[in-house]
Amino acid sequence: MGVQRGGRRIAVMAIVLGVLTVACHGTSTGKSSPSAGAGATFTYDVTSQVMIGWDPATGYSNEVIAMNNMYEQLTRYDSTTQQVTPLLATSWQSSPDGLTWTFTLRSGVKFHTGRTMTSEDVKASIDRTIKLNGGAAYIWGPVDSIDAPSPDTVIFHLKYPAPLDLIASADYAAYIYDTRAAGSEDLAKWFEQGHEAGTGPYELDQWNKGQEIELRLKAFPDYWGGWNGPHYTRYVFRVTPQATTAAQLLRSGQVSMVERMTPQLWQTFQNQNGFTTTDDPSWQTLLAMLNTSYGPLADERVRQAVASAIDYQGMISALHGGAEQISGFVPPGLWGHVEDLPNPTYDPQRAQQLLAQAGYGPGGKPMTLTLTYVQGDADEELVASLMKSDLAKLNITVDVRPLAWPAQWAKAKSSNPADRQDILLFYWWPDYADPYSWFINLFHTESKPYFNLCYYSNPRLDHMIDTVESEAATDRHKAIATYKEMQELLLKAAPALSLYTQVYQRAMLSSVKGFVENPAYPNVVFAYDLTPG
Amino acid sequence: MIRYVVRRVALAILVVAGVVVLTFVIARVVPGDPAVSWAGPHASRAEIARVRHDLGLDRPLPVQIGRYFIGVLGGDWGTSIHTHRPVLSDIMDRAPASIELVLVALLFSLVVGIPLGLVSAKWPGKTADGVIRVGAVLGVSMPAFWLALILQLVFFQRLHLLPVAGQYDPNLDYTHPLTQYTRMVLVDALVTGNWSVLRSAAAHVVLPALVIASYPLGVITRMVRASVLDSVGEDHVRMVRSLGFPERSVFGRFALKLALNPVIAVVALVFAYSLANTFLVEAIFDWPGLGSYAADSISSLDTPAIVGVTLFVAIVYVLANLIVDLVQAWLDPRIALR
Amino acid sequence: MIEQALTPTPAGRPARLAAVLRRNPLLTVGAALSLIVVLAGLFAPILAPHPADAYVATHPTETLLPPSGLHPFGTDQLGRDILTRVLYGARISPLIAVLVLLIACVVGIPLGIAAGYFGGLIDDVLMRITDVFLAFPALLLALAFAAVLSPSIGNTTLAIALTWWPWYTRLVRGQAASVAGRQYVEAARALGVPHRRILLRHVLPNSITPLIVQVSLDVSAVILTASALSFLGLGAQDPTPDWGLMVSQGQSYFTTQWWLVTFPGAAILLTAVAFNLLGDGLRDVLDPRRVPTR
Repeated sequence: MGVQRGGRRIAVMAIVLGVLTVACHGTSTGKSSPSAGAGATFTYDVTSQVMIGWDPATGYSNEVIAMNNMYEQLTRYDSTTQQVTPLLATSWQSSPDGLTWTFTLRSGVKFHTGRTMTSEDVKASIDRTIKLNGGAAYIWGPVDSIDAPSPDTVIFHLKYPAPLDLIASADYAAYIYDTRAAGSEDLAKWFEQGHEAGTGPYELDQWNKGQEIELRLKAFPDYWGGWNGPHYTRYVFRVTPQATTAAQLLRSGQVSMVERMTPQLWQTFQNQNGFTTTDDPSWQTLLAMLNTSYGPLADERVRQAVASAIDYQGMISALHGGAEQISGFVPPGLWGHVEDLPNPTYDPQRAQQLLAQAGYGPGGKPMTLTLTYVQGDADEELVASLMKSDLAKLNITVDVRPLAWPAQWAKAKSSNPADRQDILLFYWWPDYADPYSWFINLFHTESKPYFNLCYYSNPRLDHMIDTVESEAATDRHKAIATYKEMQELLLKAAPALSLYTQVYQRAMLSSVKGFVENPAYPNVVFAYDLTPG
Repeated sequence: MIRYVVRRVALAILVVAGVVVLTFVIARVVPGDPAVSWAGPHASRAEIARVRHDLGLDRPLPVQIGRYFIGVLGGDWGTSIHTHRPVLSDIMDRAPASIELVLVALLFSLVVGIPLGLVSAKWPGKTADGVIRVGAVLGVSMPAFWLALILQLVFFQRLHLLPVAGQYDPNLDYTHPLTQYTRMVLVDALVTGNWSVLRSAAAHVVLPALVIASYPLGVITRMVRASVLDSVGEDHVRMVRSLGFPERSVFGRFALKLALNPVIAVVALVFAYSLANTFLVEAIFDWPGLGSYAADSISSLDTPAIVGVTLFVAIVYVLANLIVDLVQAWLDPRIALR
Repeated sequence: MIEQALTPTPAGRPARLAAVLRRNPLLTVGAALSLIVVLAGLFAPILAPHPADAYVATHPTETLLPPSGLHPFGTDQLGRDILTRVLYGARISPLIAVLVLLIACVVGIPLGIAAGYFGGLIDDVLMRITDVFLAFPALLLALAFAAVLSPSIGNTTLAIALTWWPWYTRLVRGQAASVAGRQYVEAARALGVPHRRILLRHVLPNSITPLIVQVSLDVSAVILTASALSFLGLGAQDPTPDWGLMVSQGQSYFTTQWWLVTFPGAAILLTAVAFNLLGDGLRDVLDPRRVPTR
């Protein structure tokens, strides 16, 4: 090789080496220190993009974890006391027939836009939410009209009795916002450009769409709750889809709290100095909907056999703390949850007997069931495999089909019953703190299936469902008794199996104090209620 | 010659059109309603119907394809369902990151592969040759997604040497904000003299680039070796040698030049191939490029985005082939006459 | 795949087996490794410590156990023995490769020969269709298949085969075109010999020799593609012990339980290397123009 060529090669090698050396020094693994004198910053590490939409009336997606800090509702549900607590409303009462609800508003509440909140604003924002009819607006279905007789009073006139205090505390579609924030511009467009008009403790500082540090909020100085005592004055949302990245960021102190990581990674933070871990049941329950109208599962004995064939404890153990068995269909922390119900247990012998009665099982007719679950969900995949394995021991072949949700749903709603699945796995969670959600959506007779994907039809149950909401509006205790009765009925008829509820496993720096999980607001961290250490 | 060029370009356009139609049809045939994806899990019937109408999904298929084509020519590639933004701007946002990654990987594979191939060809059959050949075979046989995970495990988890994911440390956006020109972070940082971002970006690009480089590295090494060995045996090289030119020149000036021709051809094709396959690597390393955008689109059944990305990748692929064909025709005019 | 498209390999005469093997160590190694993989798959039921784990069995209380005497490769997220599943996986990958390449040949060869031999409009049309399929990302096709027909090995095989045949059509077309231009073929046509005879007797045998080498080199490429698709969830489904699927399922555990990902992935690598070496060796042997490896 000529000297020139050789020389060039050496130069190239040197550059490569140089880049690699530089690279090895430029890693970011050191501890970061919070900027002195500017107040404490709370950094929340989340798994997916936060602001999918900006309109508080129609927001129905991940943005609520940020919106619940920028906006406020009239009331808030406290899952530890199972009570509705005041927020923008200080007190409320309903008429004895549950058709008129009067809310007294807090005074001195300011919007981030500068205006003071009055009953006109409450009426205007809820009216607009109802009119736009997007997202979760259906929760205001019972409302006929809203009056604002005085600046601090709002009266709701309902078409039928409903627990409006619960509805007003909803995670979606219940925010009070300044409808005049955009002036003469179109409000919806103004929101979508990345603006907010709430009353909450934090206001928008900066939005970097699609970036890892997606959202920065700062303390709203005129917040009605005031800023006495230690508070987080900045709130940052950082998006890292990979659990390993999140764990690394927490370990190096670059984030305050991680929304979700794998149970294995979470365990590495347990009982570690400098970190705090929590695990609490959520209200997101996994259900196996059994086809009660077509196929082998139309026979109640077969359904009960399937209910006894599942190794529930094994399932929980395989999920390593990410799930918790629950009694009945209503998860703990929500009123209507009943502890000692006749829940199904793992009893393969009983399963075999029931199958034999129905003509199936070893020696009887062969059975093949189609099971669908949401493609990409690792937990559902695990559960499906376990169920397949459990039922195989009873000579039941399960054909497992992972489908994207729209495809899974389309199949379940097929007009030809033969095209539908036998078992459908999906999650259910309520839009506001009311067990009604499970029953009205999942078990009420539907002429054309929507979410009642076990196709169950029981007139007695329908009647109970139809009356329980007005009971909830007028006599909570009576409603609780009805929920108990309904769950007992469902556990016996077994149109669906309530497999477990997901467990929120959170890890945070030990300097973050005062965190209390509130499953009524999934994955929302109310930073205002935290105390920086 | 001109006729050849025109013909090739026209055919390229035809091919791209064919890909678009095929993709569109397949994407529509997939069951499951994109309107449901857009509207969200608990949406009401009215909401879904409204979204379906807004997205134009209730029109017949040929009409939809027609509307799409007209839109594409005008720069409207539809609106992505999972980001709610125009697909073309999504692609333009994400493409530079992928291109940057692939370029770094290609640079690495050229810089390392060519010398290795030369060494291998200079002393065929010796230990160095054997080791290099085995290495090259490993490179082309490597499952990229596995290599990515293993590298993460070794360099991040065990050795704590390199960052696990992302393009650069996002905190730097506030301490040393980067002005973007090309939207390729390394280039912009170099050009603006932003050394902190450059260091962070260099550290972050090492692992994903290594993974993507494994296949091209293997290919280029083997290609260089094979074509150098071939050309060394060529008649005119033997003639040059018999004329008394020193071995160094024979190898360096004559054989090498011949050998590099196929390598040039390979680079363009490998570039397009890698771009289409950054999918898995970007997903694993959280690289904000086209691959992870495509992965998100596929998992959310985002038809407009899937069609848009396919179109983009097809265009790049066809362009690469076109360039290679034209360059080869220029180098060897006999090709144009066929 | 790209390098093979650019380096032509003319046919040669095979030499005696033993001498060949001795002179080409890489071929020997490749052949041996490939044989090991195939045998491992064939004899999996005998070699595997827990054969039921390759099927429907699960052990929810023994999940994520590290490698030990009882489980040399550890257990996965459902408590299944990984060594067993890796061994059974050796049945799947080569099978997929064989099926894909078979389909690709059955579709690609006739099209290529027709295009090369007849030329003209047929050639143009076929080549344009081929180009469209060549430009098509394999992933999208596999996704569509998986969604329409539900993800499975069979549908992945079909999807990959559909993106593979164009390469062979191209390859065969070139050869067929050059054969078709030869004098004896023209003479035969002039004498009135029917097309079918010419195609079967002369064109076909002379066109497919480069294909033999190509196919052997493609085995590992198909295996890699299939495992990538399984990794994305578009291919084999649980409980099938497909290596790509196993890596995918192990991904979320791999920093804490590295064995879920390491062993199946190494199996993919080993198999791909084995067939690549085999293909390389075959090419060396069948092409006397190449400088042999010593």
